[in-house]
Amino acid sequence: MSSTRRAWLRAAAIAGGVLPLAACERLLSRVSRELGQNIPAQFATPASADIDPVFHLLSRTSYGLWPGDWQRAQAVIKDGGPAAWIEQQLAPDTIDDRLCDLRARRFETLWHDPGTCYEYKKEVLREEITRHTLLRAVYSQRQLFEVMVGFWTDHLNINLEKGDCIYLKPADDRTVIRQHALGKFRDLIRASVTSPAMLVYLDGKENRKAAPTDIPNENYARELLELHTLGVHGGYTQQDVYEAARCLTGWRLRTTWRKGTVYFDPAWHDDGEKTLLGQRIAAGGGAYDVDRVVDIVCRHPATARFIATKLTQKFVSETAPSSLVERVAQTFTATDGDSKAMLRVILLSDEFQSARGVKFKRPFHFIASCLRALGADTHAHKPLLEYLLRMGQAPFQHPTPDGYPDEATPWLGTLLWRWNFAISLAANNVPSVQVEAARLLTALGGDGAQLDPARLWPHFIGRMSTAAESQPLTEFAARSGLQGDAHNAELLGLLLASPAFQRY
Amino acid sequence: MSSRRGFLRQLALGRPAAATHEHTLVCVFLRGGADTLNMVVPYGDDRYYQLRPTIAISAPVANSANKDAALKLDDFYAFHPKLRPLLPLYQEGRLAIVQAVGSDNTSGSHFEAQDQMEHGEAQARVANSSGGGWLGRHLRTRTGRELTPLSAVAIGPTIPESLRGAPTASALHSLAELQIQAPTQDARAVTAALAALYGAEVGLLSQPGRSTLELLQRVESLRGQRYAPENGAEYPDEEFGNGLREVARLIKAGVGLEVACLDLGGWDTHFFQGASDGLQAAQIALLARGLAAFDAELQAVRARVTVLVMTEFGRRIYENGSLGTDHGRGFALLALGGCIQGGQVFGEKPSLTADDEFLLGPGGLAVHCDYRAVLAEILSGVLNNQQLGQVFPNFQPQAIGLVKV
Repeated sequence: MSSTRRAWLRAAAIAGGVLPLAACERLLSRVSRELGQNIPAQFATPASADIDPVFHLLSRTSYGLWPGDWQRAQAVIKDGGPAAWIEQQLAPDTIDDRLCDLRARRFETLWHDPGTCYEYKKEVLREEITRHTLLRAVYSQRQLFEVMVGFWTDHLNINLEKGDCIYLKPADDRTVIRQHALGKFRDLIRASVTSPAMLVYLDGKENRKAAPTDIPNENYARELLELHTLGVHGGYTQQDVYEAARCLTGWRLRTTWRKGTVYFDPAWHDDGEKTLLGQRIAAGGGAYDVDRVVDIVCRHPATARFIATKLTQKFVSETAPSSLVERVAQTFTATDGDSKAMLRVILLSDEFQSARGVKFKRPFHFIASCLRALGADTHAHKPLLEYLLRMGQAPFQHPTPDGYPDEATPWLGTLLWRWNFAISLAANNVPSVQVEAARLLTALGGDGAQLDPARLWPHFIGRMSTAAESQPLTEFAARSGLQGDAHNAELLGLLLASPAFQRY
Repeated sequence: MSSRRGFLRQLALGRPAAATHEHTLVCVFLRGGADTLNMVVPYGDDRYYQLRPTIAISAPVANSANKDAALKLDDFYAFHPKLRPLLPLYQEGRLAIVQAVGSDNTSGSHFEAQDQMEHGEAQARVANSSGGGWLGRHLRTRTGRELTPLSAVAIGPTIPESLRGAPTASALHSLAELQIQAPTQDARAVTAALAALYGAEVGLLSQPGRSTLELLQRVESLRGQRYAPENGAEYPDEEFGNGLREVARLIKAGVGLEVACLDLGGWDTHFFQGASDGLQAAQIALLARGLAAFDAELQAVRARVTVLVMTEFGRRIYENGSLGTDHGRGFALLALGGCIQGGQVFGEKPSLTADDEFLLGPGGLAVHCDYRAVLAEILSGVLNNQQLGQVFPNFQPQAIGLVKV
């Protein structure tokens, strides 16, 4: 998907006129296709009986493989080993993502400060941030970065529907989550503590000591310890929650000029001495109390272990192997919680390679991976977003601060909608999404009439199919009596609906 | 391979339906702020007639054929004549009314008041409010049976706010949507292929795959038959009636339906509201005929079905200059079902709000019962949710006595 300067100039020539908005998206799609965001005419796929190791690496560090991804990664890894490919993904700024930007950058509410966001309708804000998230997941070349954005979005969950969060989350997404997705954990938490959206979501802005009788609001302090840093069994006490809450008093949001931005109000701050997790915080710290809190909780050994466990569960398996968790926790401690360093340890470990195909795609991942596997063209309009809502994983809609669960069990009731999405998508029946099934089949070496389903599977699941998998499709081919494109589209739909494609 | 064949055979023969004794809560939301004062008429209060010179419903008259008169419930209350289909339900003790219900929302805005009510919150949404809708939180905190794709269903185009955050929720217009949506006429072959693929599964997806296929089959067998409602139930042939009919079918099919949401609009009667006939009477008739049909059809399973009818706010006690009523506060909530301690009107009699609460202008009815108290009592008493603190944070519900013990 390299894009030369000449190709960009050609694209600019295509765009050489002022177009109505509806045509604008068609144009963006056409330009993107021209510049390489398409299904390659031919591409290689794995040919092993077990899930191919490169496919495994890619599918765990992305929202699924786009046609041709495996062949490209294979080339990098052949020379430099998996580390070479991982390092590329860990340096997102060096990856050209202009084609994704074409689709995803144009939502203006994402770039505004909170004050300006207040001028938009909630529907607009909700739709833009949701579309942006899905489009990035589907089209970004910085896939590992997007996966980590998803991870931290769940970890530091904010529900758009609470209070004014919908006006404040765009800034949180930009300056907390995306800013630090591959950075140091301490910086991420420091940014989150005084993020206006978080101050609203967990009532930090209500946490004050304005009068001697005021009792702090512990909501945020509790979740900071329980969900964001030490973990529920991290060894903190009720007193620690209380002391942390005292430290965090006085962070308020402006309500008129520069509405929705944060400031420290000394008159609301409890400036007495505190003791948090055995460490003394001297009186008179004022606004710096928050930095002390962040330092203490982020350097706590329970935090290293908690984050290491969650990351290992996310990238390896629900039952995180303790040997690996231990090494990741050590890395956390040694590097001040450097996400990149932890990811290197995880992705290059034996534990990672021996956990192939054991994770269950959550609905968002499933939908993104279907779109990617088929090289679909979409601008993520409502009909597509409805599927996310229906399966219970619309971005930024999880009500409670623990974020969407990563485990499989809560999502097992979504199969019917997955099947229908798979079949509708492959047959080009999801409004506002375009799929070129014929082109994909040709690229995979299937020739319309004589299509052999066995040749299709590896692109989707990273290995050859078993007899139990290929036989139903062969029977289907014989039984359905369908010919041509409709038939082929249904075969692709069945692949997306298959048990193996629900896993990664 | 033999296990796969066995599975296919099982599918073909139809497995014995799993014991599904779920309770279904049906939430009907009257959008627009219903004037419940003209539905459950306080004919024993003279002020009602003084303040509503043209739109009041005349007091019940014993043994009269006057079809404009209210239908007596007790010495104080009577039903709007168009609620006649619900009268036997009240008399037989499964329909109850709770008076003076409402939220603390004083915005007078439909959107704000609905939003707040569907989110199950107080107006000041501070302190630990957990976001999402109250039914969404209920579904996340309830324990027991596994969720299915049809545990929560909204009849209509979209999922309502009350179900926001639910682990699963489906918006449907009819059962017709519950099938494999193959673009060709070949859904059967697609289903067979899925059955084979999932039948060969031994892991995590084996059970969910089977239950989903089973569900499809159960719904298909329903769809195959020409559906005729039982017990002479006659649903009004429009959106609301059709929606109730589909909910009844789902309940009878035993597909695991726990929560169903329906809307009925057209209650914002600022203008020419009418009395025993007219704009509001037409909506009342739809509501009554729909619920009566639903109740009749589900006769055999009434103990497992509860219906709540609510609205975002009631209307003012006096009629306005254009023969309608403006946005008020308190309203009467209807609860129907075999578990409901029916045949009575709970709560305080309709009264005006105290002077210092005239935030909306004078004439709104006082709220004596926070709407969450009703919802909480149903969730704990009927649906056995033991985590009310998660569903309604920072709320101590008052007991009403609405549920049979």
